[in-house]
Amino acid sequence: MDPIATRLSNCFQTVFPNLPEREIPAARQSSVAAWDSTAAIMLVNVIEDEFGIQVDFDRLAELDSFESICQYLKEGQAAGGADGSAA
Amino acid sequence: MKITEALKILQAATSRPADLTYQVLLICGFTPLHLGTFLAAHLQQRLADRKVSVSTGLYGNVAGTLESLKEVQIQAVALALEWQDLDPRLGFRSAGEWGPSALADILNVARTMLDRMAAAIGNAPAGVPVACSLPTLPLPPMFHTPGWQMAEAELELERVLLEFAAQCSRRQGFSLVNRQRLAEESPAAARFDFKSDLATGLPYTVPHADRVGAAIAPLLAPAAAKKGLITDLDDTLWHGLVGEIGPENVTWDLASHHHLHGLYQKLLAAFSEEGVLVGIASKNDPAIAGQAFARPDMLLPMERVFPVEVHWSAKSGSVERILRTWNIGAESVVFVDDSPMELAEVAAAHPGIECIPFPADDSAAGYPLLRRLRDLFGKPRLAGEDAIRLESIRQGAAFQNVAHEGASAEAFLRQAEATITLDFDPTSSDPRTLELVNKTNQFNLNGVRYTEAEWSGRLARPGALLLAASYRDKFGPLGKIAVIEGQQESGTLRIGTWVMSCRAFARRIEHQCLKALFERSGAGKMVFDFVPTAKNGPLREFLESMAGAIVDGPVELARARFEAACPPLYHGIEETQTSRETWTQSQPA
Repeated sequence: MDPIATRLSNCFQTVFPNLPEREIPAARQSSVAAWDSTAAIMLVNVIEDEFGIQVDFDRLAELDSFESICQYLKEGQAAGGADGSAA
Repeated sequence: MKITEALKILQAATSRPADLTYQVLLICGFTPLHLGTFLAAHLQQRLADRKVSVSTGLYGNVAGTLESLKEVQIQAVALALEWQDLDPRLGFRSAGEWGPSALADILNVARTMLDRMAAAIGNAPAGVPVACSLPTLPLPPMFHTPGWQMAEAELELERVLLEFAAQCSRRQGFSLVNRQRLAEESPAAARFDFKSDLATGLPYTVPHADRVGAAIAPLLAPAAAKKGLITDLDDTLWHGLVGEIGPENVTWDLASHHHLHGLYQKLLAAFSEEGVLVGIASKNDPAIAGQAFARPDMLLPMERVFPVEVHWSAKSGSVERILRTWNIGAESVVFVDDSPMELAEVAAAHPGIECIPFPADDSAAGYPLLRRLRDLFGKPRLAGEDAIRLESIRQGAAFQNVAHEGASAEAFLRQAEATITLDFDPTSSDPRTLELVNKTNQFNLNGVRYTEAEWSGRLARPGALLLAASYRDKFGPLGKIAVIEGQQESGTLRIGTWVMSCRAFARRIEHQCLKALFERSGAGKMVFDFVPTAKNGPLREFLESMAGAIVDGPVELARARFEAACPPLYHGIEETQTSRETWTQSQPA
């Protein structure tokens, strides 16, 4: 797992402590029961803490899987975001 | 606190036993997500031995949730009001009208809603504390005035809000977040997340949710206030070295530019009136220092200070003697001195004592010092015992001196003219009872602390028995100084709580309390749920003297054994009116 994915996995473990670590890379909002709308906001805030970024609320709907969030963070890093993603 | 840290704090506590859960109901009109998380985390930090659980009321229905408090099993209520809870039109998520024509109706609705909430808070279950944060977010730009001018309607809203707060504050167990302190911690401009409010119903920025949670938590789980302050004199209580410049030339006033010392004196005088013990440890000539104290402009009267240790010996020794006179531990005491060396010497000799430098040469640092002291010694409310604490300590010292000087302890106790007032009323709402349970360390059966709800629950159990004892003798009153709580099961009285103030030692009050309990309950034996703690040696020693054996856990004491071991008791006994009525009513016809 690359460094961004590892740090993101830690964020998932913080917000979804009952989600087995091995299932995190495949986690999707539709498949994780605890991933409701409030958990989605909590997850974004934890990611903001971890990566030192501000996630735009308008993009919340598309950040609905581990993979999509990881991709978002990598794009931000490539674009020169503060600590891994676009502000 | 970051949200990640809050979640980790809560996850670390999930393994704690369910029966130690501290259940808090968070009532707010908006989505409580972050506020709930931060409130739980801050409470969890303060309640290390419990598992904090925060549940939430109905979205947008603050008054309705308050009105249903009697139907839910909770131990505390956190109420985070915002303007839209008074009328949805005072928020941003309502489509209701804002114009001048709507204002009168909005004010009426707000008044009605606040009256409803105040009534619900007044009817909340006894023993359930309610901590409230008044609105923290800006009102919408709905008034005709420009934003820099207060509108009359805004002032009217503030007025009805403050009337509500004042009315609720009269309820025992209701407390309010200090809005000025919150404004320092969470600046107004950094509180409101407009976009988040519209998008998700979360109006608080994450840092503001943290600060509001942090402000409510100490209201529900307050830290124990410090009990005593020991102060230096030169360049601390006053400016200057009294032994060098003379008692007439030390200063503490505005004209001399040393008013910080005067403010410090005033604060200590106020502390003393509130029941804080104030003592002096100074390296000085006692006669000269006494002349400075005798000056008519002194703001801390000498009679408010006890004991006074003024001599040339080490301050750690002075502190040792003061602690012994007060009979409290160093961890309950603050030592203030301008000398870093003296602070270090006392800190090394008395681990746990809080040593605070007095900023004699930096008046700007004086304001933080005064606030810090207020925070350390502040208490939610004052009790009658607070007013007599100093006098009872002073008289206790006289008691000990006379006891040591006089013929025998036996003769002394016989001549003390002591009276113990017993109160067996388990429905007593005197907050001093639980306060004593939760602050006493040395004569404490097991060190267990209770929330108000837990305490009420224990007293509501079948067979529950409560004894609160007050004491006075010819040296003066000590106030309410002992509490015993237990449960009677046929011929056995099981004691779960027993505390007695350290001011009341050596008077055989503990013997008299057990005698009264045996007589009142008719029990043939008592079982004490003793648990050794780091500090409850005095109670262990007492139990061992009664049981005639080493005590390191629950211990049984038969009435016959107690009567054989009990020394002569000389107290007069009184019983409160409510206690007698309670007993009469609880007896079978």
